[in-house]
Amino acid sequence: MSGHRIYRKLWLTVFASALGFSIAMPGAMAATPKDTLVIAKSSDPQTLDPAVTIDNNDWTVTYPSYQHLVKYKKGSTDVEGDLADSWTASDDNLIWTFKLKPGQKFADGSDVNADAVKYTFDRLLRIKQGPSEPFPAMQTSVKDPLTVEFKLETPFAPFLYILANNGAGIVNPVVEKAEGGADKFLAGNTAGSGPYQMTKWDKGQSIQLERNPHYGGEKPVLDKVLLKIIPDASAQRLQLQNGDLDIVAKLPVDQIESLKSKPGVHFEQVPSLLVTYLYLNNKTGPLANLDARKGVSAAIDYQGIVEGVLSNQGKQLKGPIPDGMWAYDDSNPDFKQDLEAAKASFAKANLGKQNLTLLYSNRDANWEPIALTVQANLAALGVNVKLEKLANATMRDRLGKGEFDIAIGNWSPDFADPYMFMNYWFDSEKGGLPGNRSFYSNPEVDKLVRKAAEISDQAERTKLYQQAQKLVLDDFAYAYLFQKSEEIGLRDNVKGFSYNPMLDDVYNVRDISKE
Amino acid sequence: MSVFQIIFKRLVGLVFVVLGVSVITFIVSHLIPGDPARLIAGDRASEAMVDAIREKLGLNLPLYEQYWLYLKGLLQGDLGTSIRTGRPVLQDLLAFFPATMELALVSLMLAILMGVPLGVLSAVYKNKWIDQIARTISVMGISMPAFWLGLGLIIIFYGHLSWLPAGGRISQGLPVPPLVTGFYLVDSLLAGEMNTFYSALKHIVLPAITLSFVHLGVVSRQIRSSMLEQLSEDYIRTAKAYGLPKWQVILRHALPNALIPSVTVLGLALGDLLYGAVLTETVFSWPGMGLYVVNSIQALDFPAVMGFAVLVSFVYVLLNLLVDLLYLIIDPRIKEVG
Repeated sequence: MSGHRIYRKLWLTVFASALGFSIAMPGAMAATPKDTLVIAKSSDPQTLDPAVTIDNNDWTVTYPSYQHLVKYKKGSTDVEGDLADSWTASDDNLIWTFKLKPGQKFADGSDVNADAVKYTFDRLLRIKQGPSEPFPAMQTSVKDPLTVEFKLETPFAPFLYILANNGAGIVNPVVEKAEGGADKFLAGNTAGSGPYQMTKWDKGQSIQLERNPHYGGEKPVLDKVLLKIIPDASAQRLQLQNGDLDIVAKLPVDQIESLKSKPGVHFEQVPSLLVTYLYLNNKTGPLANLDARKGVSAAIDYQGIVEGVLSNQGKQLKGPIPDGMWAYDDSNPDFKQDLEAAKASFAKANLGKQNLTLLYSNRDANWEPIALTVQANLAALGVNVKLEKLANATMRDRLGKGEFDIAIGNWSPDFADPYMFMNYWFDSEKGGLPGNRSFYSNPEVDKLVRKAAEISDQAERTKLYQQAQKLVLDDFAYAYLFQKSEEIGLRDNVKGFSYNPMLDDVYNVRDISKE
Repeated sequence: MSVFQIIFKRLVGLVFVVLGVSVITFIVSHLIPGDPARLIAGDRASEAMVDAIREKLGLNLPLYEQYWLYLKGLLQGDLGTSIRTGRPVLQDLLAFFPATMELALVSLMLAILMGVPLGVLSAVYKNKWIDQIARTISVMGISMPAFWLGLGLIIIFYGHLSWLPAGGRISQGLPVPPLVTGFYLVDSLLAGEMNTFYSALKHIVLPAITLSFVHLGVVSRQIRSSMLEQLSEDYIRTAKAYGLPKWQVILRHALPNALIPSVTVLGLALGDLLYGAVLTETVFSWPGMGLYVVNSIQALDFPAVMGFAVLVSFVYVLLNLLVDLLYLIIDPRIKEVG
């Protein structure tokens, strides 16, 4: 009997101490501080060097820390001057001259001048990593302290737009004197003239941005921005619900649904330019046959994917250029599943008993249900699809070598120009990983998109791109599934939030306030 | 064998273990198809750009040469530079290692504090209701996924009761205690910052319970079976025959002997806790090595993955050594046999 007593005593002690412990502690629930915006992130940034990072997850920190010559207008893909007051391009589109606004200052109080601009672009092109990729070969020269000139070797129509990229953030040249060198310093610090600067980074825990006292633009409302690293989506949701977070993006659909009914939280649905589509191998294998591609394209249940996989958080594509990007062609018809037409095309293609391989990875949770849908759609027509789920790096390797029949891909533009879709996806010189993942080749299309990349008249370019669009749609180069929209969860007291489709994961922190 | 001989032997062994681990992880990580240079450059980069990055990272050298360079660095305590973050791997690992270690140690303590009494009780009351409950807890502990238990605890203690925080190591706004051991619980006490200490304590409770649950089951089952073995020994019968009180026989005579085999289990458990905490760390936003390594693996960050493997195997061997030394203390017979 004594054992029972001991047992009871033991558990009573444990229970009592647990209870006492939790009561003695002050409540864990607290609203976020009034002067601080608290945003959830799923993982730490990797590097903060604008000349190195190509990951939007890093840009949450870097974009508001640097200013650019031009910036996106609120919620739009159009650009306006940021550091630049005005600019001109020569008639042959080779020489671009920018006049800087006077009185703009870096966070250490030094002037943003033409030397800093030259330093930034020289460094970007010297390091030659991902962010330099869209930039054409060019010379940067200082004309006077507030005038800078870019001399391009070949005309490049989207030049103005790439200046709003994260990689074109103007860096304070003083970093050259930092201990360990500029590269090492910039990987873990910010040195810009943007509204905020990073002041603290507790690896794996949080990142703190504080107002730049010398910022030349409109003064930001909030003193601080805190980025909390919370890897688990459910934990993010709970913390938003309890008021420990102000903004959460990229929650899974089920979490969003359960949060919508809770008080104090609302969601804003914003359109994005992130598109999901299927690469069809145009070069080798059964899908090198136009009729076979036509069959695949007609067999897919597009509407079912948008409804079932996306829960309607997005809309169907009408071609390579998504809605929201100029040169989008609304007159194109929607893609529709047409099993009769698909059957006829497959009969004409005479595929025999060939299997099609479909590659996907765990990079995007939507890919698996899409793969299963496509497999089922084609199975109904007697076409056997073999699914291969690979590690993302392995999949990339196979894509580069063209070892697939169908593969799922996501694409978002780096700069606000249809060039990002039309030239990357269809120029035969960009075959494989650089962008033309279907290994599509059509000399006429090559000519049209290359021409469109050289001239600066936007109306003329739109015409060329839409012409090329018609051709590639007839060739069934890809199967175009959908463009996603994003739902951003916000506490009700957060005001002034706006989303820019060019800047996923970047928040307009300068304009946000809290009530 | 003397204590020093044992230590010497183990330290020599350590060199070979670390060497072996580095060879194996090097080969495995380089066999995986995929190109880290391509990952850094981005999908859209040209071949020329990828080649340039490959050259900068030394990935264009023959494999044996790459390994030789790595080994040369390793011997000087340099684990290389992370491809993903551009920082020295050692610096990255040391930023995350104390958090993982602190969580592992607190979890182990919890597992012992709860597991040993549970095991003793279920051996003494074999097949009675206490034993059944203990068995149920063990099975639950071993089979319940950490993310499920962790989320459940968060929903109850953070979501509904608001007693404990949802994640992290200390509350936002509190200063991180000055670095001595890297354990916030210890460092905050050393600095005399009681607020930070309470905050750290509050933050570690739920993840430690979650992580300890698996080992709680293992420990209690181990104690139960060795207790049963001891209780059937002659010396126990003798003790009972002399009329010693029941709990004195159990706690003073049977338990110390039953603990000996458990030391091994506990040593291994600590090793498990070190690299098995990934899910728990994810759920509780615990800034440990687990997440760092998962991210590194996905980015094909060879130096980081190898650095992790080398560090963990190093700690593992040291733990084994510690277990062996503990053996010597609690079981003097081993000294003579060995």
